[in-house]
This record gives sequence, C-alpha cells and structure tokens, in this order.
Amino acid sequence: MPEVTQILRQIQQGNVAAASDLLPLVYAELRRLARYRMRKEQPGQTLNPTALVHEAYIRLVADEAINWDGRSHFFAAAAEAMRRILIENARRRKSLKRGGEMYRQELDEDEDAVIYFEEMDELLDLDAALTKLAEVEPNLARLVELRYFTGLSVEDTAQALGISGRTVKRNWAFARAWLGRELNHRHK
Amino acid sequence: MTPPCSIFDYTTFPSYVPMKSDHPTEKSLFLAALDIESPRDRAGFIEVACRGNPQLFASVSALLREHERAFNPIDNPIVNGVSSQRDNADETESVSSRPEHSQQALGTLIGPYKLMEQIGEGGFGLVYVADQQEPIRRRVALKLIKPGMESREVLSRFEAERQAIALMDHPNIARVFDAGVTATAQPYFVMELVRGVPLTTFCDSHKLDVTERLTLFVTICQAVQHAHQKGIIHRDLKPSNILVTMQDGQPLAKVIDFGVAKAIGHSLTVKTIYTRFASMVGTPAYMSPEQAEMSAVDVDTRSDIYSLGVLLYELLTGSTPFPPDRLQSAGFDELRRIIREEEPPRPSARLSTLKNELATTVAVNRRLDPTRLSTSMKRDLDWIVMKAMDKDRNRRYASAGALVEDVSRFLLDQPVEARPPSAWYRFWKFARRNKVVLSTASIVASALILGSAVSVWQARVAIRERDDKEIALQQARAAESSANRARVELEEFNERLNSCTILLASGRTHADAERWADACRAYTEATTILPKYFLVWLERGKLNAKLGRWTAAAADFAKATGIGFPVEQTELSGVPQLLFYAGESAAYETLCRDLTRTEAEDPFSVAIRGRLVGDMPPSTANELAEHVERMLLAARDARSADGEDSGPGAANMLTKKRPRYLDMLYGANLYVAGWAHLRAGNHDKAIQRLEESNEATWFGRGIAHPLLAIAHHKVGNAEDALRSFEQSQALLDRLLNDSARRSTGSPSIPFVDWIEFLLNHREASIIVKGHTPVTDPRLQQMESYAEAAIVD
Repeated sequence: MPEVTQILRQIQQGNVAAASDLLPLVYAELRRLARYRMRKEQPGQTLNPTALVHEAYIRLVADEAINWDGRSHFFAAAAEAMRRILIENARRRKSLKRGGEMYRQELDEDEDAVIYFEEMDELLDLDAALTKLAEVEPNLARLVELRYFTGLSVEDTAQALGISGRTVKRNWAFARAWLGRELNHRHK
Repeated sequence: MTPPCSIFDYTTFPSYVPMKSDHPTEKSLFLAALDIESPRDRAGFIEVACRGNPQLFASVSALLREHERAFNPIDNPIVNGVSSQRDNADETESVSSRPEHSQQALGTLIGPYKLMEQIGEGGFGLVYVADQQEPIRRRVALKLIKPGMESREVLSRFEAERQAIALMDHPNIARVFDAGVTATAQPYFVMELVRGVPLTTFCDSHKLDVTERLTLFVTICQAVQHAHQKGIIHRDLKPSNILVTMQDGQPLAKVIDFGVAKAIGHSLTVKTIYTRFASMVGTPAYMSPEQAEMSAVDVDTRSDIYSLGVLLYELLTGSTPFPPDRLQSAGFDELRRIIREEEPPRPSARLSTLKNELATTVAVNRRLDPTRLSTSMKRDLDWIVMKAMDKDRNRRYASAGALVEDVSRFLLDQPVEARPPSAWYRFWKFARRNKVVLSTASIVASALILGSAVSVWQARVAIRERDDKEIALQQARAAESSANRARVELEEFNERLNSCTILLASGRTHADAERWADACRAYTEATTILPKYFLVWLERGKLNAKLGRWTAAAADFAKATGIGFPVEQTELSGVPQLLFYAGESAAYETLCRDLTRTEAEDPFSVAIRGRLVGDMPPSTANELAEHVERMLLAARDARSADGEDSGPGAANMLTKKRPRYLDMLYGANLYVAGWAHLRAGNHDKAIQRLEESNEATWFGRGIAHPLLAIAHHKVGNAEDALRSFEQSQALLDRLLNDSARRSTGSPSIPFVDWIEFLLNHREASIIVKGHTPVTDPRLQQMESYAEAAIVD
C-alpha cells in the first residue's frame, strides 16, 4: 500500500511520469478486492464498482496528505482498471456462454466481478465505441471512463481533468452524442 | 487537452463562419449548436455551417439527434449513485460523500418528472403525484424507493421485466411507465396515477354486499390473470395495492405496482418484512407459505393466487385469516410457522366466532342480516377461499382464471369445483407439511405433460425466476458435492466390502485347513474393516465356538445380534444356545424373539433348538413339538413316495438313493421332537422319539441320553433314568477324552450338539442324581487348549 501513496506523493511533487506506475497496482488491488467480495457475497449479488474503487482507495492510499491532484490520478487509474476488469469479465463470460461451459467454468476460483448477462453486450459495445472515441478524442474518452466507471461527479471530473465544470458538461454532451451515434450506427 | 469550447459567437450567425480553423470539426459545430436554444435556429445554423459539406452536415445532424435522444448507454453509469442526467447535470456532490435522504422537496425535478404532491407512504418508500414534462405532458404517480436498496439491482431487475410490463394492458391494472434512479441513487417507478382507495376500505365504506364484493373481486382476478399470462408475478397483492375508484357509478379496481415488488427484489421475503415492521404499513398477512420460506427464488404465479385467497377471505369476513396484530407480535420463527403451518378457520367459522358487535358491523357493511351472514357463505365460498389459500400450492387453483370461474359459478348458483379436502388428504398434508418444494424441474415436467398454456407460462416464469445463475449454480454445486460424497462413500463401502469378503473367504480356508490362528486373524481383521456387518462377527463367533472359546464366541454373537441379521439363516445354528450357555441372556432373548417372529420354515430346527434351551411354557413346547412332528411326517411321506417309485421293500435302498444329509436331518429332528415333547410334558412320546434318535445316524447321536434320563425320571422310571444318565456320563467322558487326546478345545461333534449336551447333562444330573456336577477339570483343560489353538 505505501507504494501507491509514494507514487501519489511523487505526482504531487511534479513527477507526472510516476502516474504510469499507478495503474498496475490499482488494477491488481481492484481485482483482488473484486474476487474477495465475490466469495463473501451471497450468490446473485452484484458488485458495486464504486464501492470497490473507494475501498481500494482507502486501502491503498488512506493518507490525509494526498491532495486532490493525487486523488484524481488515483481515480483516473482506477477508472481504467475498473474498465479493464469489467470488460475482461464480460468477455470471459461471453465466451463461456457461447462455449456452453458456463457451469463448470464458473466454479473457477478465479472468478471476479459479476455483471448481468443482459448488459454484457451493451458493455462490450460501449467499450469498443469508447476505444474508437479515444482514437479521435482521447481526453473525451478519459472523461467518459472516469464518470462511467468510477462514478465521479461533474465537479470531481473537472478537477481530475483540470478543466472547468462547464467544459466537462459540454464535452460530456459531445461524447455522449458521439457514442450514441457510434452505437446506433453499429446496431444498424 | 480538449481545446476550449464555444469557440465562436453564435450571435453573429448566420453570416459568421467559424474562423478557428478553415475546417470546422463536427465537435466545434456540435458544441456551437448546443448553445442555440431554438431547434429551428439550430438547424439553420448547421445547414449554413456545413454548406458544401454534406458529409459533415450528416454527421453533425446525427450527433444532434443523439443529443436529443432520451436514452444513451452512458446515461446509466456502471456505478451506483452517479447522476444519469446528461449535460444539464449540475449536481456537484462527490460520490464519496453521497447524502442519503428520501424526502424530496415538492417541485423537485426527478428526470422529466416534477414532484407535485406526496400522496402516500409505503413500506418501500414515498409516493408522489408528479407531472411528467416530456415527451408527453401527463400526471403520473411516482414511487420513490427508500435509500438502502441497491438501486442498480432494482433497476436491472426492473429492466429484465420491462418488456413484459409494457405488454400488460388491462383496465384493472395500473400501468407502470418508467423506472429510473435519482441523483441521490434512489430508484423510482413511474406509474399510472390512480386516485382510489384501498380495496377493503372501499368495500366497507360503500357497503358493498357479498355479490358486489365478489363481482369486484372477479375483476381483480382477471387483472392478475392477465399479468400472469404476460409472465409477470405481482408478489405483493394486498388491499393497499388494489385501489378502487367509482367510474360511471361503478366501482373500478386497479391493481398497482405490478413488476415493482420483483424489482425491489429478493428483499421481499418475510424476513425483510419482519425486520421492517416498524416502518412498514404492510403486513405479512397476505404472504404465501412459500414466500415465508425465505427463498424468494421459489415464488411463482401461485403465490399470487394465495394472496387473492387472503383478499377474498378478508372481503368476506372483514379480517385476514391470521389477525395482523397476532402476526405482528409473533417472533420471527413463530411468524413463519403460522404462515406455513397453521390452518386458519374457514371464513364461515370466522364469522360465527365474531363478537356480536363486530358481527353486526361486518353484516351491516355487507347489507346482511347478522344471523344469515355465516350461513349464506357456508360451504361453497368456504371451499373456494380455502382452495385458493391452500398451504400446498399444487392444490390451489391452477390460475387466477380458474378462481374466477369458481367464483362465477357461485354467483350463478352452480356447484363450485373447490371441495373440502378428504381425510386422507388431510393426513397426507400433515405428514408432509414441513416441506412442500416443487422444483423447477417438476414444473417443467408438468408443463410438458399437460401442455396447457397455463403450465407453459408457469414454467417460463419459474425458469426465469431461477434464471439467477448464481443461485442455480450454488444449488448445482451443493447437489454435486453431496452426490460426490455419496458416491465416495459408496465406493469406499464397496471397497471395504470387497476386502471383507476376501478376508472371510481366507478365514474359512484357513479354518478348513485347521490353521486356527490364521483363520482367527483374518476374521478379526474383517471385523475392523466393516464392524457394522453382522457376518464378520458371526463368522468369527462360529470359529471361536468351534474351537471351544465360549466366552469369545458369545461376545461375537452378541455383537452380531446387536447389529441384527436375517434370522432365517441356517448359519445361526447353535448361536442362541451358545449365548444362553455363556450367560449373554439379553442377546439370547433378543435373538429368540427374532427367531420366533420369523416365518421361515426352519427345516433344520435352528430356531426351535435355540428356543428349547431357554424357558418356555409347556403349551409353547407342545406347539414346537407338533411343528417338528409335522416335519418328521413330511419327511417320512417323502421317503415312502420315493420308496413306492423304487418298488416295495426298498427301505434299505432309500439311504443309498437319498442324500445323506436328509437322514442326518431326520435323526436330529427326532431328537428335537423328543426334547420338545419332554418340555411339553409328553414324556412317553419324548422317550419314544429320543430313543429313535439314538438309533438314527446323525452327528449328535447320543446327546439324547441326558434328556432320556430326565424323561424316565419324570415318569417314575428310576432305573431307566439312572441307566440313561450313566450312558450320558459315558458319552461325556468319551467326548472329553477325545478332546484331551487331540488337545483341542472341543470334541469332534458340531458345537451346537456339544453345548446342548453339556446343558442337558447338567440338568439331568440335578434332576436324576440330585446334585450339580462339579466342574469337570477336563473342561478347564479344554479351555486352555482352545486358547492355545489360536496362538501361532
């Protein structure tokens, strides 16, 4: 854990390069937490990604000295990590579903976050669209990732991205329309 | 970083063309267009800005269309508690400090709904009248679910049923339009606004008579039937969920909240209701036994039938089957027990026990003469209600439609289908009261067999209910592990049985070869492998008996007796006698009781001989004697039949032709018959048979001597008695010397004969000589020989 705090401190001190070390740590912690939660929860429960991210934050950082700048880096990393986890999970489940081996496979200890089957396609589609958006507007993709996967509010998002709240809203509107167009186009 | 937005001033439009770059991007145009309020101006702006670039025009138009679209995948973020609003989202609270409050200020906008008035408070939240702003203006009811529910789950459960809910179209069902999550993560449902009063309140305040009540009830059942046909189960039918209004002078009932209970969820078990009692307006009074089982998984359309039954009960009697105050004061387990097990009084019985004052109220409310109240609804209505409310859902009406038919029959004075349960059924139900589980599999099976539409959708509903993969998985997991456990146990048992069988066979081989120590070791090992198998003890006991190790043998036999075994087995020969001889009287009694009960033929007189060593009244001895006499007669008949076949005077040939063991058996049975006669007091007959047995050829020839001595003594023939006793003593000497000579623990006759002889010789000594014989030192010598036999 102190490792993450150290990285965040380095970022605070201006060492932005340290941010790249953050993702693997946060990713590992989120996965671990998700697995742990899955074992603890009743079957049929779903995971609450927000709660996971916050739990991870408390476990990994929990340092009063980390200011918003550090925190925002953490959430940016968490958003990406959570996206990866959920997408991996959805892909695996989808392939299992196709393979008809779901039951046997799901006994696998390596199970992590559970999402509803009905949402899987939607999530994978969104992921693909988001990746495409990142090619033309990487910052907008990050904005969506932050809000969609960690539940940051407009204000928090604005802080995390260093832009105004108004810009967040406008960019959000554009990203939303862009993704909607992309997804609707895909469905046609 | 994104370039700053609003890079041009739209007020100068349309003459102004974006100057930031010569090639306006779709983003810059889109954002500029956003600032234009009027759709017409907006369209005009785009048209101008994209002049000469139809591709750009198309893409920006598409973006603006998407912007206007109410639904977008990222509107419902994957996390809870995040605003689903789009760019008008101006809430600023951070996710980490999300406030939880349920009360919404009037005038608040929730999605496109503006809260106007709070009209109710239920167990799960508050109900408001709201004005829907778009896409159409209308007045709706908005049910705001209390915080604490997992809003994401509530919504996804609702989404799962949304299609089906949208298909419901019935005048008696309030439509559910929409569901969503507020900025504070509270799920809400938007429904058709019904300004009505709860069913029971309406019926009483309008003093509807029984017929009017039943007519209204029928419309409710039809609504439920409609929903069931769409695959929607209500799960929470109760008067407050059925609102009645007057329309054109007629009462109109509307069932509200269809699909809501399911979405609110698994939480709707008796447990949550119990734990929420304090804050709860509702009661578990309408909850079906299977819902009280705690597994919300196993709920199907028949749970609604149950609730309808309770509603009808209440409409008829003015109270629910189990008084709410009683349910409320009951402990949690007691509450479940009442719902699952307690049989409520029939409606007519409930009415007849009402206190006068209350009965008057009930009667007045139904425009009835109080004395007629109970008789008018006796029988048929009783059975209709009780059938709908059966604890066993298989015995309820198969559908709400069937319930409607029966109520209609009653209204038309036709015989109803519901019938009182038979005594046999009541017993059967009692016997299996505690567990009435119909698995999905059997619902599906019945659907396949019946093929009726009802069953098919029931099956579909049931399957969907179970579609919760994790739960199915857990069950599969549990079933698999228990099956595995059973299989492993069985395999282990088979393995042990195999090695046991091998050990027993090896023991017998060793015993045949007189390698007693090896035999004993094999048997002993078998007893450690399968100690709960009677045969291992029996085999070792017989080896011990054969060797003369009486105490050890008796202990083994006692053990085998304790386990219990098929008593007709001839392998038990001598076992009771040995138990008796060794003083294992409890085991002896048990075994003899079992032997008496068995209906087997007992041609070898195993049971009879075993019983004869113990005490018995002369009448029983007489029965035994007659039984053996019949066997002797049958044996003689068989002999003479064979004899006729082989010509006259063939008596000598018989012994050659017939298996030798039959003659041996005949000889033994002569002795048994004589012994039984002696016990019965038929001394002459005893003497005759015993003397015959001494002439016959069998292993135990001569062991009749002590019995003969007793018989002669009994008839006062002292000389013959003494002579017989001396012959008995001579036999004893011979057998003992024989053993001593061979250094064995037992003489060379079957141990059953040997034990009986020892017992009877001792008795003869007491009767004829007047004293108990001193223990023969040679017997002690034999015991040490016996012990030595099993030592290598």
